[in-house]
Amino acid sequence: MGKTARHLRPLAALLGAALALSTTACGGATDASTAAEAVDISGSISGQTINYWSMWKDGEPQQKVIAAAIADFEKETGATVSVQWQGRSNTEKLVPALNTNNVPDLVDGTFAKLAPVIGETGQASPLTSVYSYEVDGKKVSSVIPEKFTSNGVFKGEDGQPWMVPYSISSDGIWFDAAKHPELKATPPATWDEFIEVLDKLKAGGSAPIAADGDIAGYNSTWFVTALLRLKGAGSFKALVEDKSGEGWDDPSVLEAARKVETLVKGGYLNSGYNASKFPAQQQLWANGDAALILNGSWTPTETGSYAAPGFEYSSFQFPAMGDKPASARVDFIGFAVPAKSKNQAPAQRLAAFMLSAKYQNALGTEAKVLPVRPDAPVDPAVESVKAAIDAAPATHLQNDGVTFPGFMEKVFFPKDDELFLGKTSADEFIGKMKAAQIQYWKDNS
Amino acid sequence: MTLHLTEPRTGGAPAHSPESRKPGSRKPGPRKSRRGSRPGGSSIDVQRKKLLIPFVGPAFVLYTVLFIVPALGAVWISLHKWAGSGPMKFVGLDNYGRIFRDQLFLSSFGNTLLLLFVVGTAIFVLAFALTLVLRDMAGKKIARNVIFFPHLINALVFGVLAGFIFNPGGMVNSLLAPLGVTDPPKWLAQDNIFPLIMVTLVCTTTGYFTTILMAGVDRIPPYYYEDCALAGASAFQRLRYVILPLTWDVFGTCAVLWTISSVKIFEIVWVFGGSSGAGVPPTQSWTAAVYTYVNAFSGQSTPAYGAATASAVLSLALISVLVVLLRRAMRRDAVEF
Repeated sequence: MGKTARHLRPLAALLGAALALSTTACGGATDASTAAEAVDISGSISGQTINYWSMWKDGEPQQKVIAAAIADFEKETGATVSVQWQGRSNTEKLVPALNTNNVPDLVDGTFAKLAPVIGETGQASPLTSVYSYEVDGKKVSSVIPEKFTSNGVFKGEDGQPWMVPYSISSDGIWFDAAKHPELKATPPATWDEFIEVLDKLKAGGSAPIAADGDIAGYNSTWFVTALLRLKGAGSFKALVEDKSGEGWDDPSVLEAARKVETLVKGGYLNSGYNASKFPAQQQLWANGDAALILNGSWTPTETGSYAAPGFEYSSFQFPAMGDKPASARVDFIGFAVPAKSKNQAPAQRLAAFMLSAKYQNALGTEAKVLPVRPDAPVDPAVESVKAAIDAAPATHLQNDGVTFPGFMEKVFFPKDDELFLGKTSADEFIGKMKAAQIQYWKDNS
Repeated sequence: MTLHLTEPRTGGAPAHSPESRKPGSRKPGPRKSRRGSRPGGSSIDVQRKKLLIPFVGPAFVLYTVLFIVPALGAVWISLHKWAGSGPMKFVGLDNYGRIFRDQLFLSSFGNTLLLLFVVGTAIFVLAFALTLVLRDMAGKKIARNVIFFPHLINALVFGVLAGFIFNPGGMVNSLLAPLGVTDPPKWLAQDNIFPLIMVTLVCTTTGYFTTILMAGVDRIPPYYYEDCALAGASAFQRLRYVILPLTWDVFGTCAVLWTISSVKIFEIVWVFGGSSGAGVPPTQSWTAAVYTYVNAFSGQSTPAYGAATASAVLSLALISVLVVLLRRAMRRDAVEF
């Protein structure tokens, strides 16, 4: 005993030293977030430097456009931008960085990824000054369509916007217009017309709809969009927020689930959709083995390399139901500035700079994505989606913007998968969701 | 009591011992050396103590800073509700209560146990079977390399390959079609993914442990086998009475290695389902490690670091308990040869 204790004593001393050392190393990391005010960004920023953590990797089309914009920005303002092309994991790296004083001055990402990490945790600077800054002689707030911002999606707890989008993505039901010119001429506008089209395609011998059933986010688009068509944008989030779970007893919710059930039971989904691995089904669609696929505005760029020769991308919107005005899905990609950044002015100026017509046009024509400015031209492959967004009276986010911790991954996706993959009926799905949601809020409030 | 008993003895020893009268005697006797070690210790002891800090110190400090402190930090975080940055709310043991009530955590944990015990048993049965075959086989060096090879391949490759092989239009179904199988099983359906992962793990890990066990088997002197041959022992008897006892310590180490690595299995689940990492894999195939990751980093909802670290802490506790139990169960005097 005595011998062990003697050996332990120096070790204990070491342990103490190590603990002291490591706590000092982390010291100062636990500062509370600062409630930042909007700053004036109109002055000279010459000689200032910012660190930008980009969601793009070197060589991606969007990266090339942003890199060109940064080069012009540096020339014009005299500021220096030090960029790390980190790729999509930049938001994951941002979380630990926000706990230190060593934060990037500018980050970009999709709204869905930035909101939970920096927007909703009060760690972002208000970007009010960016919205009132002028590019090409127009205020930034006037070049971003009002319907994108009117629902207050970018507003933080202080009521000020924390994100400035430079690009958007959307979805649609995609088809090959060369093979199906009739769909381009008269796309089905209602659910009944849609089912008619499906019946016709099925009678023609080809499976109407391809779906990569292993991606829960794709599967959920069917139910969520059907519900939004029936009850309007924001209704899915309202349904999910309801702690009593009684919203699931609403007949329209059951109807939305029945629509999904119709697709499954009607045999409209390509056989094997429930046991394949992405991107098998989307490849099969691009080869012409199935006529339709419900997918994002990125579909032309993602499938372009293996599409059948002569494939002509076009899309129509998820069909309308009832008399509600159909909203278009619009997800945002844009900038946020951490509140702890010490270089607010140059960071916010660069965010505004990306909204200049020159780079917005380049995003549309060179990177072939949808720029946030409606006056920027786009590639022919996504023209149908752009037209739908321009025409839509309102917009909604993917999954209607639900980001409650773990709700989608652990509660909704598993049950929605069962519905979409044909393992439960619409009625069972409603019952299971109601019970699971009540339990979720019991555990998470 | 003990003091009373020992005092007169140690005190009396010099008086009765003839050598003790000679000053400078080189044989102080064992009792004296034991007593002498108390104040200053023998020179070896002193040397040992001097070297303890320079030798153990750097590793100990690094280990403490990089592993023990973060582990304690994880325990601290697991007592909070926290989104990874911003305000932390102390919730006590709520996170633990919550994950124990979470059906999904229990099924994920169940999957981890399936990997640990079912896959583990399969691996070691196969590995011992292979050591028996490989010992006498011609070209055993090549065979060993071949079975070790899958272990070198990144799990990502198996995830992608699974698509080529098991997709509805994939290799397996194309091979089955000419045989008249028109309605093949749905290989990659959500419920089948975890069994496929288990099979893949058996295939990729068996070679690794076979290699380690073979190293132990190779140390066994050939005359034991000759003895067996003379006694007419069967292959199983040879395993039971020669190989197992003589490689028991190697096997014990392998079992601990597998326990530790199986509880951490993550990437193969991540790439097998959920489109090779583009989405979250189906919940039927989650392990405790995947559960932890999704809670913290799914990227699709507000991170729940408290719940994530609580499940990580539970995994750590599981490993620790299992390793201790395993060491205890496997404790046996090493056979020297």
